[in-house]
Amino acid sequence: MKFKAWLKTITFYEILVGMAATMRHLLRYKPITLQYPHEKRTLPDSYRGMLALLRYDDGTEKCVGCDLCEAACPSRVIRVVSSEVPGEPTKRYASEYYMDMTRCLFCGMCVEACPVDALGMTREYEWAVYDKRNLLLNKQQLLAIGDRSYPVREKRLEFQHPNVAFFNVAFKNLPAKGT
Amino acid sequence: MGLKPATNPDVEAASIDLTIDGKTVTAKDGVSLYDVISSTGKIIPAMCYHYTFDPFGSCGMCLVMQEGKKAPVRSCTAKATAGMIIRTEGDDLFQARKKAVEKHLSVHPLDCPVCDADGHCELQDMAFQHQVTTLANAKQKLIPEDTRSLVLDFNMNRCIACGECINICKDVLMIDALQFMKKGGFTQVVAKGDAPLACEFCGDCLAVCPVGAITNKFSKYLYKPWQLKKTTTTCNYCGDGCQMHVETKDNEVVRVTSPLSWKNKWGDRSETAKGHGGLCVRGRFGFQFIDSKARLTQPLIRKDRKLTESPWIETVETVVGRLADIKARYGPNAIAGLITARCSNEELYLFQKLMRAAIGTNHLDSSARYGHLNFVHAAQHALGVGRMTNDSADITKAKSILVVGSNITETNPVFSLRVKEAIRVYKSQVIVVDSANTNLAKLASHPMLVKPGTEGLFVKGLVKSVIEQDLIDTDVTGRHAQAFAALKQAVAGLSLDAVASATGVSKVQINEAASVFAEAPRSVIICGEGIVRRPGGYQHVLALIDLLWVTGKLGRPGCGINTVTEEANEQGAVDMGTSPEFLPGQVPSDSDEARTKFSKAWSTPLPNKGVGAGLMDILKKCRNGEIKALYLVGENPLGTLPASAEVKPALEKLELLIVQDPFMTESAQLAHIVLPACTFAEKDGTMTSQDGKVQRIRQTMDPIGESLPDWQILAAIGSGLGCASMEYESSQDIQREIMKLLPGYYNLGQPKKVTVNADGYLSNGYQAEAAGRYCAEQKAADGGKRFSLTMGQLLYHSGKLSTQASGLLLIASSAGQLHMSLQDMERMGLKDGDRVRVWSAKGTAELSARADLSVLPGSCFYPEHFNSPPIKDFMTVEVDAVTGVPYFKQAAVSVEKA
Repeated sequence: MKFKAWLKTITFYEILVGMAATMRHLLRYKPITLQYPHEKRTLPDSYRGMLALLRYDDGTEKCVGCDLCEAACPSRVIRVVSSEVPGEPTKRYASEYYMDMTRCLFCGMCVEACPVDALGMTREYEWAVYDKRNLLLNKQQLLAIGDRSYPVREKRLEFQHPNVAFFNVAFKNLPAKGT
Repeated sequence: MGLKPATNPDVEAASIDLTIDGKTVTAKDGVSLYDVISSTGKIIPAMCYHYTFDPFGSCGMCLVMQEGKKAPVRSCTAKATAGMIIRTEGDDLFQARKKAVEKHLSVHPLDCPVCDADGHCELQDMAFQHQVTTLANAKQKLIPEDTRSLVLDFNMNRCIACGECINICKDVLMIDALQFMKKGGFTQVVAKGDAPLACEFCGDCLAVCPVGAITNKFSKYLYKPWQLKKTTTTCNYCGDGCQMHVETKDNEVVRVTSPLSWKNKWGDRSETAKGHGGLCVRGRFGFQFIDSKARLTQPLIRKDRKLTESPWIETVETVVGRLADIKARYGPNAIAGLITARCSNEELYLFQKLMRAAIGTNHLDSSARYGHLNFVHAAQHALGVGRMTNDSADITKAKSILVVGSNITETNPVFSLRVKEAIRVYKSQVIVVDSANTNLAKLASHPMLVKPGTEGLFVKGLVKSVIEQDLIDTDVTGRHAQAFAALKQAVAGLSLDAVASATGVSKVQINEAASVFAEAPRSVIICGEGIVRRPGGYQHVLALIDLLWVTGKLGRPGCGINTVTEEANEQGAVDMGTSPEFLPGQVPSDSDEARTKFSKAWSTPLPNKGVGAGLMDILKKCRNGEIKALYLVGENPLGTLPASAEVKPALEKLELLIVQDPFMTESAQLAHIVLPACTFAEKDGTMTSQDGKVQRIRQTMDPIGESLPDWQILAAIGSGLGCASMEYESSQDIQREIMKLLPGYYNLGQPKKVTVNADGYLSNGYQAEAAGRYCAEQKAADGGKRFSLTMGQLLYHSGKLSTQASGLLLIASSAGQLHMSLQDMERMGLKDGDRVRVWSAKGTAELSARADLSVLPGSCFYPEHFNSPPIKDFMTVEVDAVTGVPYFKQAAVSVEKA
């Protein structure tokens, strides 16, 4: 026992064990760090990045200004100002929509809360800015993110009557179009 | 009233015993089973139930199992009977209730995200509570929204036909503007006759709607309940002192809601005698003035004839410097001040303290001078009480109510509900004396339509008739034999026939009204603007008191005399001493004891005795140069008083006119310094309602722009003028000072009952007074003018303040219209909206006319809130000899088609 311990001491055995991994990589070198701006990682399919507002295929905003995202948000990122659609007094929409991305946790609760799938999480993550104020995004900016991230848009359902305040409900017994 | 307990307040209902969930419960006979269950603290879901009206039984949620019955029964429409054995819980009941929710949901759109009721919806709550997740046979109604009404939108897709809106409109408000109608295969709620809704727009239907079927047009789609900050405060419009919830989002008022809602559906109907918690159109829809664009946001100082913006510090310095300069040069009596009765008690107190202690003048007055002081003076003089003598429960339970000269459903709509409840629930007899066919007159048992301006004469006729018919209370007249003899002698000169011909009411009717009033065990008088704002107001209130004492009603529980006020805090203005004749607490300002008390409290001598001018005297002194500086807090005499009062020359003659107001008023345009003040929604304080309830107003949002609460400005000026005791940090500091000086004034909305004592009045000098009161009135010659023009209040407006609320202007626009009777319009060949020319010796004006069913032929009505065209300038001002109240609401004019 004493001899074994003496042998380990004079051959720096513990150090060799400790450095084994280092030595191994020293010999078989393969870089792990990505040279970030030049190289980019492949994102997993479930990646939850920048939030975006989406549109229907006819270009109209999906958002109905129901404010459920604001209610669901744990860090009070979202602010919705809703009003009537101009010229269509029975339809509601978000006249203003703000996201303060400095506070966002990317938890995705707003996306889950949205009853009309108007919110989406994109694969964008390159949002470093010099001025924090640039991270307070308005509706136009959020729609623009949606436009570039979701080129394939959902089809807008037919509305039944111009004066009926339904939104995306599918009916079996629809009246004929144009009534 | 089938299912409610016996509604005669004199009879107690019998008690019965029944078993609920194994426990024995005692209840009153005749009560709904639902009420009995909810009184034990158990809550059974019910969507169509509200305690203010009778059970309707349409929602099918309040199911309970009764032993001996196979199927569940609806507890709301079932009458509680002795020996019932009831089970309220169980899986079978849960499933049955769930079926009812599913039935409602199957025709209810799933548009919660866009619905305004989302998050405040009973159907949503019920669906959640009963775990409704799938619907087998959902079908949509696809009914277009009815957006025709000015105020409310009806989305009948969402309606669950609970009938709450219809029931509250019919049973509680007695307006009956809504009905069910079968249309497009569905039962829908529509306005009567499926016309666009045109009612009193109190919005109580909106408050009780458990779903989003009725929505408010002014805040539609602008909010979700969880975004709003809800502050309970007191309404600033009339003297009813309704509590309301102002709901704000940042610095923007989104909506106003009432304590009445589908959520407070459990209660005892005996509680409604104190009020049902609803609001009127002004309170609910007239909130836009708070965050209006027209608000003043910066102090203004006149430089080179133009009002220019200036920072606060500089402005206050200028105000203080110039006031001190005028005081030094001309003495304190060259400064006067007027304040509006829409300010809080603390501000009114501080204002009179500023005037009396810091400046040393007794020239101060408030807008209570426009009429309420007539009542206060008369009641103080005769009864020793300076406010109305009954509370709202007394009025609800009165057996006979004499409403004289008060279009109470228009001026004080929520207070009028007490009279309506008296009619409906307690079957009281109501005598309405007015020169217009008011809404209350249509419900009353004894409507008395008198000729314009003869309300006071009618009252005297009642006194005469009571004595002639021997309806007097011999106990009282025996005790005050001398006074009774004096009164008898005084009315001897009055003949009932003359009264009948002058008022246009037959002698038989006068006698009947007198006997109804005198014979009822509990009789209450409510007098309004038709008495206190018309010539002889003070004497007419005393004549009403004569009627009370001679019939033995004075001091009897449940009897009394009451008034209604136009502005929110007129009672507070009187109590806080903002008039030359009163110090705080309604003590005469020449009482030595009070003078010592206040000069000690303020550590400064008070202005000399006997000096002091009220509103009209102040204006006169401004004109003749005695007063050099005038401080107007929220007052706008130029916009209120007619041209003949010569307000403009008075204000122009001043060396210094300071106007402190939230808005740029007519008077402010003449001012040298304009100080931006806050509205009631941006400050803390208290208000005293007409029945003496001291209630809090709470800050709902930050002041708009750089405006400041009035008390802050007053305190700054006061301490600037060197008054050491005027430094306050919050309105609570002022409250504490008032509490010390007036112990017991802050009654937290529970005023003490007042006790009246007229013995001193009846035994000292009554003889001389009564003799003068009943002499025949001189009727002013009308100079061949055919129409009697009256100015008064509209339901949709209150003073000038409401003309800043865009919602109310939408309902009743500020382009004033002349209200004429249908008969006159037909005779003159006029249609609604036609232009007419109105003229008198004072001028001519052209405006459009509209038919108004409440106006009598030969008279016309113009809302006093509007000055375009300035109809008020037709009026002459008559000032009451005793109280100094200006009378300027009636004139004789000619009208012809333009």
